[in-house]
Amino acid sequence: MIAVNGSVEVIVERVQRIAIVGGGTTGWLAAATLGRVLSPSCYRILVIDSANYERGGFSEVALPSFHRLNQLLGINEHDLLQKTRGTFRLGARFANWGAPGERYFHAFGSLGAKLEAVPFHHYWLKLRRLGERFALEDYSTAAVAAKQSRFAPPVPDRSSVLSLYSYGYHFQAASLASYLRQYAQAHGVTRNDRRVVEVQLRGEDGFIDALLMEDGTRISADLYIDCTGVCAMLARQALDMGYQDWSPWLPCDRFVSVPCASSVDPAPYSESSAEATGWRRRVPLQHCTDDGFAYSSRHISDDEATGTLLAGLSGEALVEPSLMRLTRSCPTRFWNKNCIALTGGNPEPLEHTGLHLVQTGIARLVTLFPVSRNSPPDIEEYNRLTGMEHERIRDFLILRYKCTQRADSPFWESCRDMQVPETLRRKIELFHRCGRVAMFEEEHFGEDSWLAVLLGQNIDPMDYDPLADVLDVSEVKVALAQMRTMIKEGVDTLPTHARYLQQHCRATPGGSCT
Amino acid sequence: MAAAILARRLGHRFGGIRVIESPEIGIIGVGEATIPAIRLFNQALGIDENEFLRQTQGTIKLGIEFKDWSTVGESYFHPFGAHGTSLDQVSLLQEWLACRASGETGGFDELSLNTVAARLGRVFAYSPSDESLAAVFAHAFHFDASLYAQYLRGYAQTRGVLRLERKVIDVELREDGGIAALKLDDGQRVEADLFIDCSGFRGLLIEGALKTGYEDWTHWLPCDRAAAVPCQSGGELTPYTRSTARAAGWQWRIPLQHRIGNGYVYCSRFISDDEATATLLAHLDGPPRAEPRLLRFTTGRRKKLWNKNCIALGLAAGFLEPLESTSIHLIQKGLTHLLNLFPDRGCDPRLADEFNRVAINEYERIRDFIILHYKATTRQDAPLWRHCSGMEIPDTLAYKIRQFRNSGRVVKYDHDLFAAPNWIAVFMGQGILPQRHDPLVDQRDLAQMHAHLKHIRSVIRESAEAAPRHDAYLLQNARAVAP
Repeated sequence: MIAVNGSVEVIVERVQRIAIVGGGTTGWLAAATLGRVLSPSCYRILVIDSANYERGGFSEVALPSFHRLNQLLGINEHDLLQKTRGTFRLGARFANWGAPGERYFHAFGSLGAKLEAVPFHHYWLKLRRLGERFALEDYSTAAVAAKQSRFAPPVPDRSSVLSLYSYGYHFQAASLASYLRQYAQAHGVTRNDRRVVEVQLRGEDGFIDALLMEDGTRISADLYIDCTGVCAMLARQALDMGYQDWSPWLPCDRFVSVPCASSVDPAPYSESSAEATGWRRRVPLQHCTDDGFAYSSRHISDDEATGTLLAGLSGEALVEPSLMRLTRSCPTRFWNKNCIALTGGNPEPLEHTGLHLVQTGIARLVTLFPVSRNSPPDIEEYNRLTGMEHERIRDFLILRYKCTQRADSPFWESCRDMQVPETLRRKIELFHRCGRVAMFEEEHFGEDSWLAVLLGQNIDPMDYDPLADVLDVSEVKVALAQMRTMIKEGVDTLPTHARYLQQHCRATPGGSCT
Repeated sequence: MAAAILARRLGHRFGGIRVIESPEIGIIGVGEATIPAIRLFNQALGIDENEFLRQTQGTIKLGIEFKDWSTVGESYFHPFGAHGTSLDQVSLLQEWLACRASGETGGFDELSLNTVAARLGRVFAYSPSDESLAAVFAHAFHFDASLYAQYLRGYAQTRGVLRLERKVIDVELREDGGIAALKLDDGQRVEADLFIDCSGFRGLLIEGALKTGYEDWTHWLPCDRAAAVPCQSGGELTPYTRSTARAAGWQWRIPLQHRIGNGYVYCSRFISDDEATATLLAHLDGPPRAEPRLLRFTTGRRKKLWNKNCIALGLAAGFLEPLESTSIHLIQKGLTHLLNLFPDRGCDPRLADEFNRVAINEYERIRDFIILHYKATTRQDAPLWRHCSGMEIPDTLAYKIRQFRNSGRVVKYDHDLFAAPNWIAVFMGQGILPQRHDPLVDQRDLAQMHAHLKHIRSVIRESAEAAPRHDAYLLQNARAVAP
């Protein structure tokens, strides 16, 4: 009972027991977070971590938002990278996306600086028209550092160009899961490694009542978090979350991947290169890489796709390639009754937003933590925010497929011809017409990310901001040259990524990468 | 405002800026209260704050006092800035709710630096001495709008803006429906690429010429008239605006250095003009200094704020009663969006669409905030209040109220000028209290939380007591010359 405002409100079915179904990175990330914020004297958290749920890939990729988790959990990033064969991530390099032979970076951090309150890219567009050919990424500290494979964490001094970027990470997935598991278990989370054989619902309202386990025991909780990935054991099989079909917009439905040995220094960025029927990606780890190929099964068979992957590996394959289906639907309700679906399966990996969405999902649950099992206002707000967040990321992904000049295969032709969601259509049109980026509610990727991709995919605005004409061209040239020089000189002072890893987060070489 | 900022930002590279100002059309401004963002506008123009106060008979504003809104006899304060000593407002509220459930008797408003200082008549024009309070402090101004307009006129003219003291007698349209030129009363024809309509309620260009249409909000905000009168000041110079709810509307009180601006915003369905004027005159601090003026308005907004090559600003764009002092701010925001989306000659409709999307959202979020004051009342003593407390409200606001009532959470929408601290102050002031607090707060040590709140209260009290008195501060730093 809690007393508020003089009156006494009786809380029915107060949430005290939380069951997280499915281990893996998702389950243990949820468990570690809840273990950290929920006191064991008030809450009991159980993870059902049997090995039979479909697993994600070999690697996990974190966006800069992962720092919030580090901070909350008190994780030392050097220790984390050392134990997960991890590397730093300044962004991603995209090859052959706009047109074959072209490359661009989507790096984390600012692109240039405003002049006279006019955003940088308008000046860049203007100078480009006048014949200057400096690449957009020459104005991004993160991209310049990434290209040279240099890395050090940004400095706090806001006047330095070395403060103007951020970074994420690449991890070996299984090691990350076990790192988070140890953290969670040290914070009072318990683990059960048996299999769920049945999800029992309450007759009167359809809430999940209990999980029947393979050994005949029943596990009952107040709140269930479904981390079973593609099979969505609770969310899809037991409760109807409702699904929206996003397959018309996201053409790749399969992903085949394999970890490879690597003897070269790991790059501080992931790579994604478009090919005729999909795209190839590479995630660098210490001593190995995770290579993969995402494709459309309408345009290429699984065998051919595997062949394509194996023909372009960065090193010797360490195991047999594994195939997964990509999830191209999105729940309409992420939280229904007393069950929260923390992952919709294997999302399109193009921007590696899967882990990020798990993280924001669990953080949002903490913010909206319910008092009782049935808490419609909390559920409503959770679903409203989560839905918008997914849609904005969806738009960011569709943009790559839609805005391409490639016409070399039926795959790309159908991408170019597709109708995109209204929010994205508006964004593309506004940018194309006048170089402005419309931002909508709950965008994760900021304006600089959108710019890097819009311009990287060769959308050439017809006009730039007329106010960029207020400054003399000569002044603009000087200012932009200064930005490039400062960035170049700043980056020159950074150690190489390999050296930084070697000094601070060196994983044991050799051993089993898998 | 438009001419000044455009002159500042456009420099001499554009074909020139002309302001057509008819001497016959008066300036509505009677005394304007603002919100802290006005300081950014002045900074963008490079105007010194004290110089500005001297030129406009300005005073410092720390927030608004609302009297008799939730219940007759009750008052609350909506402070600028945030509560507590950090920016984590929701968490402070949760802590306070948990403490309150266990016997805490201090009000949430005692955790606001601005509220405590305002009640003591003291001001911080810059930052309080205690560093932990720097992030939660904010202030705005009251000033004489006519003097501000004069000041900005001088500013713009010295930067090349041409002023034509003429009346527009005809608007000439282009084939595509945009505006080609204005015909003035001296026969002159003024062509331009872009027209900014600052003609007030009637919207000479946006409505008169372009027939843009108006979305009427009077079913939510039924007040449609105001009687305004300045009076002599007497007594203490308060560093806040006061809004007192009355039977058929509410009365504002805006203290300036040389006088006090007053006005009664009312609903003509429930009171006659004469009665309203009499009520206004009966509630002044000193003798009136002019004849009361009557204003008529329809709350709402143009269907498009940017239509073809015409952008409406101020009252030409829409009208929201000045309950939360947002009029000047909406002009400022319109200009910010215009500068962000500055068009070339073609005035691409996509720019206008984006401008309208963002600007209309802003209007609607402020609209919701103002409706909240009317909706959340227990007053049943007059037809206006019975109507308002029972009326249907926009879904966006209903959802926000529901969420706050459930858990003390403030739903955040895009383009909402008012942030969590503002909404919390008004929700609580209007008597909407969360039914429960965040269960995770129960994990914390209650005694520590009580001690924490006590600490914040004492830091705030000490800082507020150490601050200069409002009149002393102005006297020393920004004394205006007698008019």
